Amino acid sequence: MHLIRIWIAGLCLATAVVGGPVRAAPDGAELYVEYCGACHQMQGQGGIGLPLLTSKLADVSDAYLSSTIRLGRPGRVMPGFMRMSDAQVDAIVRYLREQSGTHSVAFNDEPVSGDAARGEALYTKHCAKCHGADGHGEGEGTGVTQSRDRSFLVMPASISNAGFLASAPDQMLRRVIAVGRESSDMPAFGKGKLGESEIDDVVAYVRSFEQRGRKVEALDPGERPTHVYESPYDFDTTVANVKASLTGANFRIFPDRLLEQGLIDEFSVNTRQIGVRFCNFNELYGMLKIEPRLGVVLPCRITIMERKDGQVLLVIPNLRVVSRWFNNDELVGLWDRMEETFAEIIDEVTL
Amino acid sequence: MKPGVLRVLAVLVLSGASAVVSADNMIMGRAALRAEIVLEYVKSSIEEHGYSIAHVQLCDGGMKDFGYTSDVYRVVFFGKIDEVRRISESHPELVSYLPLKIAVIAEKDETLLSVLNPEALAPFFSDEHLQIQFSRWHSDLKSIFQDVRRSVAGHLASSE
Repeated sequence: MHLIRIWIAGLCLATAVVGGPVRAAPDGAELYVEYCGACHQMQGQGGIGLPLLTSKLADVSDAYLSSTIRLGRPGRVMPGFMRMSDAQVDAIVRYLREQSGTHSVAFNDEPVSGDAARGEALYTKHCAKCHGADGHGEGEGTGVTQSRDRSFLVMPASISNAGFLASAPDQMLRRVIAVGRESSDMPAFGKGKLGESEIDDVVAYVRSFEQRGRKVEALDPGERPTHVYESPYDFDTTVANVKASLTGANFRIFPDRLLEQGLIDEFSVNTRQIGVRFCNFNELYGMLKIEPRLGVVLPCRITIMERKDGQVLLVIPNLRVVSRWFNNDELVGLWDRMEETFAEIIDEVTL
Repeated sequence: MKPGVLRVLAVLVLSGASAVVSADNMIMGRAALRAEIVLEYVKSSIEEHGYSIAHVQLCDGGMKDFGYTSDVYRVVFFGKIDEVRRISESHPELVSYLPLKIAVIAEKDETLLSVLNPEALAPFFSDEHLQIQFSRWHSDLKSIFQDVRRSVAGHLASSE
C-alpha cells in the first residue's frame, strides 16, 4: 500500500476549523495539515477520512479532486470546503500530486449515452452487492477508523452521493467500471464481463441516482438545539422520575453530576442543577462506529434544574439538530429514532 | 455554462446546501503522539486559558467494563463558573452544551481531537451577548488547539 508521503517538520498537530477562515498565501502542505490531516492523517493513511492511496490518486483527475474538496460528500462526514479560494484548492491538489508522484487523468465531459433501464439489471447483478441497491455503499460507518471493522480497507464508495456524482464525469465512471480500482476490491468489468455498451448502460443507471439520491429530512425552521420542558413536580421528585423512566427504558444510569461540579469548591456548588447521565453501551459502541466524534456532544444527559422561582426544568439536547452538525446521514437516522425514545421518557416523567 | 459548474449547483440543491452549512460545526485536530500524553497537554492548555477542568470522562473504560474493545477515548469537560452560572440563568436551554467538552480519541499512536464549534449554536440565538460568548469560546478553542500543537512539537523535538 502506497500512501502519499507527507511530513512537515514542526507541524505535528493538524487543526481544522472545517471551512473556516482562509489564508492569503496558499501553501499546499500547510493547507493539507490544517484542513485534511485531522481526518486523512498526516501521510494520508486515513482515519475518519479515507486513505489517500497513491493508486487512487493516480486514477482520478485534478478536477475530480478539486470538486471533491469543494463539495465534500454530503451526509458522509467529508465536509465541503466552499469557502476556500480557488488558489487554496489548487494548492492542496498540487500538493497531493507532488507527494504521491501522480498526475491528473484527463477525462472529457462527453456524457455517456446508455440505457439506464438495462443498466439497472446489470447494476443489480454486478454492483449492488458492494455498493448497495441504492448506491449508498455497503457496511457500517462512513469511512475507516482504527477501531472499526476493516473488512474493506476502503469502504465501497457511496456512488449515489451527490458530491461524488457531481465530481465524477461519465467518462471517469466508465473507466472505473472497465478497469476497476487497484486501491480497493473493485474488479475490472471490462475484461470479458461486460461489453462496452453494457458499461455505458451501467453508467447511465449510476448517473440516474442524481435524481433519486437519499435525502435527509429537513429540519423545521423553528427547531431549537435543545428541548426544554417544565416539570409539574418538585425538583427531587422530577429527578427520581427521570431515573425511574430511564431504568425502565433499559439505560444504565451513571452517578449524578452537578452542572457546576468541578468548576467551584464543593460547598459553593448549586445542588439544584443536576445532569442525569445514562447510556446503553451496546448502542454507544454502535454509534461510535458510525461517528467516532460523538463525544463532542455526549447526548445522553438530561439536566434537571430548579430556577429561583421554584420552577423545575428538564433540558435535553435536540438530537435532530445536533446530529446534522456531523454531516453524517447514518447518525441522523439513528438519532432521529433516539429522539423518539427521549420524547417518550419525557412524556412519562412529566405525566 | 460548463457542465462542471452545473454539477456544483446541482449538488448544492440536492444536498439542501448541507455541505456548506455543516462545514463550520466541528473543530478538529490531530497530534502525532499517544493520546495519554496529548490529554495532559490538552488539560494543561485549558487551564492556562482560564478554565477549570470539571472532569474527564473515561468513555473507553466504561465500554471495556461491558466487554467492548475500544482505543483510548476521553472527554474533557471544562468551563468557567461565572459563565456557566450566567448562561444557565439567562438561557437554560444551553445547559445541555455546558460545560464545554473536547473529545480525545486515540488512533493507534496518534490522537484525534474534536470539539463542537460553539458558533454552531449562534444561528439559534439573537442575543448579542451570547454571540460574543460563542465567538470567545471559539477563539479559546482554536488557541487551545494551537497550544497543544506547539506542545506536541516540543515534545517530539525533545525526544529525538
